[in-house]
Amino acid sequence: MTISGPALLFLIVGLGVVGWLAGRAKARGFSRVGGRRALHSLPNYHGWYVALWAVVPPLIFLAVWSALSPSLVTDAVLATPAAASLPADMFSRAAILGEARSIAMGQLDVGFNPQAAALVAPYRTAISYYSSIGAVGAALLLFAGWAYGYTRLKQDFRARTRVERVVMGTLLIASLIAILTTVGIVLSLIFESIRFFGMVSPFAFLTGTHWSPASGNVDPDQFGAIPLFWGTILIGAIIAMLVAIPLGLMSAIYLTQYAAPKVRQWMKPILEILAGVPTVVYGYFAALTVAPALRDFAVMIGIPNASGESAMAAGVVMGVMIIPFVSSMADDSINAVPQSMRDGSLAMGSTTSETIRQVILPAALPGVVGGVLLAVSRAIGETMIVVMAAGLSASMTANPFASVTTVTAQIVKLLTGDQEFDSAKTLAAFALGLVLFIVTLLLNIVALRVVKKYREAYE
Amino acid sequence: MNSPDALDAAVDRTPTDWNAPDMQARIRRRYASERRFKYVGLSAVAASAAFLAFLLIVMIGNGIGGFTQTRIALPVDFETAPISVDPDLLRSGSGEAALANADFQGLVEYAATAAYGPGANQYFSDGAWVLVRRQIAANPDLLLGKTVFDLPAASDIDIANKSEGSAEAERAVKLLDSRHALSKSLNVAFLTGGDATDPALAGIWGALKGSLLTMLVTLVLAFPVGVLASLYLEEYAARNRLTDIIEVSINNLAAVPSIIFGLLALAVFINLFGMPTSSPLVGGVTLALMTMPVIVIAGRNAIKSVPPSIRDAALGVGASRVQVVFHHVLPLALPGILTGTIIGMARALGETAPLLLIGMRAFIADPPGGITDPSTVLPMQIFLWSDEVDKGFVEKTSAAIIVLLVVLLSMNAFAVYLRNRFEKRW
Repeated sequence: MTISGPALLFLIVGLGVVGWLAGRAKARGFSRVGGRRALHSLPNYHGWYVALWAVVPPLIFLAVWSALSPSLVTDAVLATPAAASLPADMFSRAAILGEARSIAMGQLDVGFNPQAAALVAPYRTAISYYSSIGAVGAALLLFAGWAYGYTRLKQDFRARTRVERVVMGTLLIASLIAILTTVGIVLSLIFESIRFFGMVSPFAFLTGTHWSPASGNVDPDQFGAIPLFWGTILIGAIIAMLVAIPLGLMSAIYLTQYAAPKVRQWMKPILEILAGVPTVVYGYFAALTVAPALRDFAVMIGIPNASGESAMAAGVVMGVMIIPFVSSMADDSINAVPQSMRDGSLAMGSTTSETIRQVILPAALPGVVGGVLLAVSRAIGETMIVVMAAGLSASMTANPFASVTTVTAQIVKLLTGDQEFDSAKTLAAFALGLVLFIVTLLLNIVALRVVKKYREAYE
Repeated sequence: MNSPDALDAAVDRTPTDWNAPDMQARIRRRYASERRFKYVGLSAVAASAAFLAFLLIVMIGNGIGGFTQTRIALPVDFETAPISVDPDLLRSGSGEAALANADFQGLVEYAATAAYGPGANQYFSDGAWVLVRRQIAANPDLLLGKTVFDLPAASDIDIANKSEGSAEAERAVKLLDSRHALSKSLNVAFLTGGDATDPALAGIWGALKGSLLTMLVTLVLAFPVGVLASLYLEEYAARNRLTDIIEVSINNLAAVPSIIFGLLALAVFINLFGMPTSSPLVGGVTLALMTMPVIVIAGRNAIKSVPPSIRDAALGVGASRVQVVFHHVLPLALPGILTGTIIGMARALGETAPLLLIGMRAFIADPPGGITDPSTVLPMQIFLWSDEVDKGFVEKTSAAIIVLLVVLLSMNAFAVYLRNRFEKRW
């Protein structure tokens, strides 16, 4: 006997609805006998109570079961005589097993491996055996929960309290997913990085100046990440900021201090479009239009090593992408400067620009600095623009027209293409990810501190 | 400039002569610097806007041609053509094997040479013969006489016809034009087809469908979780350690670089849970983790803006705390939450980096049938095409960018509409 997944879900949801209707009807029966006031909770809540008892336990059971059953199935298959002839090597063993499973589940028609064919039949038996157990277990829980919930309904039963407790639990679980994600990120990065640092020492990784990971042999000298850090800083923290800070800050000053309300109302959303354009579009634009133009310019003024993929192209386009970000942070901190300071300065006879330069900007500086730090953290984490426009050569050049590479571009390079997962090459990507995560986290924490402290100063 | 400090004898007490030439010059200097500062600000705004305009103009200029296609008329005389398929067999519905065996590639080559001279086969797209076969399968009567097929041109001819191409292609265009064989039409294949190695046949529907499926998974996961989490944090959470940790993690997740989510997805969803690589399912879950903090932050702001008097009134007439939130606060905050959700979804739709790491960069010709099929998404298709050497893909890439930008712009416009239409100012 096998019940397909959708049919089972349909059954569960269907009985849930029936439970809701039955519970409500039963509760209405009470109120007919003893008057409406006799009920503690509205009939709807009685319905929800039964429905929750019917639906939640089998769903939890199915979720747990579907996580457990693949390994149970594999164990069962390995115990059959057909599996005795499998090679001892873990990789080819796993490949054959996976192929046999795909054929048994109908995802694959024919296997490449003759040994897989022999395992298909045991797989089919095991899969249908364990899925039957799952279905029967879920069905039993479904009916048992339904019956339990239904029989507990009484006139003064506190159905609402119970249902609301479940609602609160759901809300809490939803909030905990954020923690779970953070923990997942930290653990997966740390776990894979530790495996990487087992092969390459952290010291060699963080201080080496030669980066050319090749698959196969693990030579710690190939994993010196300094050129990547330099490329990241050159593009994200220097060139991009040289574009974004003046343009963003001056835009914010103009729009808050000089522009007519009508102009401000139109220009602000237009500038914000810049932040909404997908990064892959910027990357394409940088590679197609900006980079060749910059190379021609560099060749014209006689800069050596000018490349069609340059730090300059990626950095300039990234800077433009960050403009709205800097501008809106600056906007906020300029607006937070008390009006009295501005009025005082103007009353002394200074011009608007003198007020801005000597009163407003110094007062708003912490906020602006915080905004710039956040912008840097965003720029060094940016991937597509550098992948498409900055190139992949890990060099420590200060020439902005030469090709450099960044942490994010190397993560993409290491993890795409043909690779087995456990090589030092792929694990290096996680170590780079860990460095990136820590640096952006620190930048964010410092930036938020700075901004918060400054806000408090004027409140 | 008069100091009131009488004790300081050294102070010069003569009143400032504002009309003196040096004072006038000084005021002029200050005003000039004021004007300069203002113009610097104005030019910063103008430069940013100009960059945006330049980007859009380049993309539209490159990409608008991608929506049309040059087609070449190919007259075929089946009386003499080197192909033998029995039309009766096709009509009876059992001619698939016969069609598969027939040499349509040779037929196109023969007919092209007959019509436009030797080498004319190169004028047609590599996949043109598939279209001939498809048309014959649909209408076997074509096999009985002379027929003119309207076939897509090869990409170099297409480029030469639309703008400036190589000298060779320009000559071919001149030749074809003199025979009145060229036509331009809406490129239906681009909007309805999947990816292809030949730019003349490549379409974005496969990627668009992959994006839609991915966004569906993202929405189904991120929206409920985001709304429930923001309700909890804003309405119920006690001020304690746990709440602080939740808040810190949500704010951090919103600032974590997107590629880190790709690393998480690769390590956990694909390697640990064994979820299918390149599928909209994994992509959707990954983007949901990225979108959820955006929805939570927008949701909390929307919930915060519902005035406390609403809650007090509901509590006053006997509603429970859960009833207050689900019957009153949530419906009032919903427009704001939806606006935030759409903006978050628009960001997820344009996201590429994390999807690169979970294998969505494979070449996939068929549109995905479900959320576990291998698939690609619109921004990824742009990235893949931008890597192609064939010049015909430049146009396709920009055309795909136009499609992506139009979708994003309409999502954002819808969000603005929702905000203006439904948001209440209390």
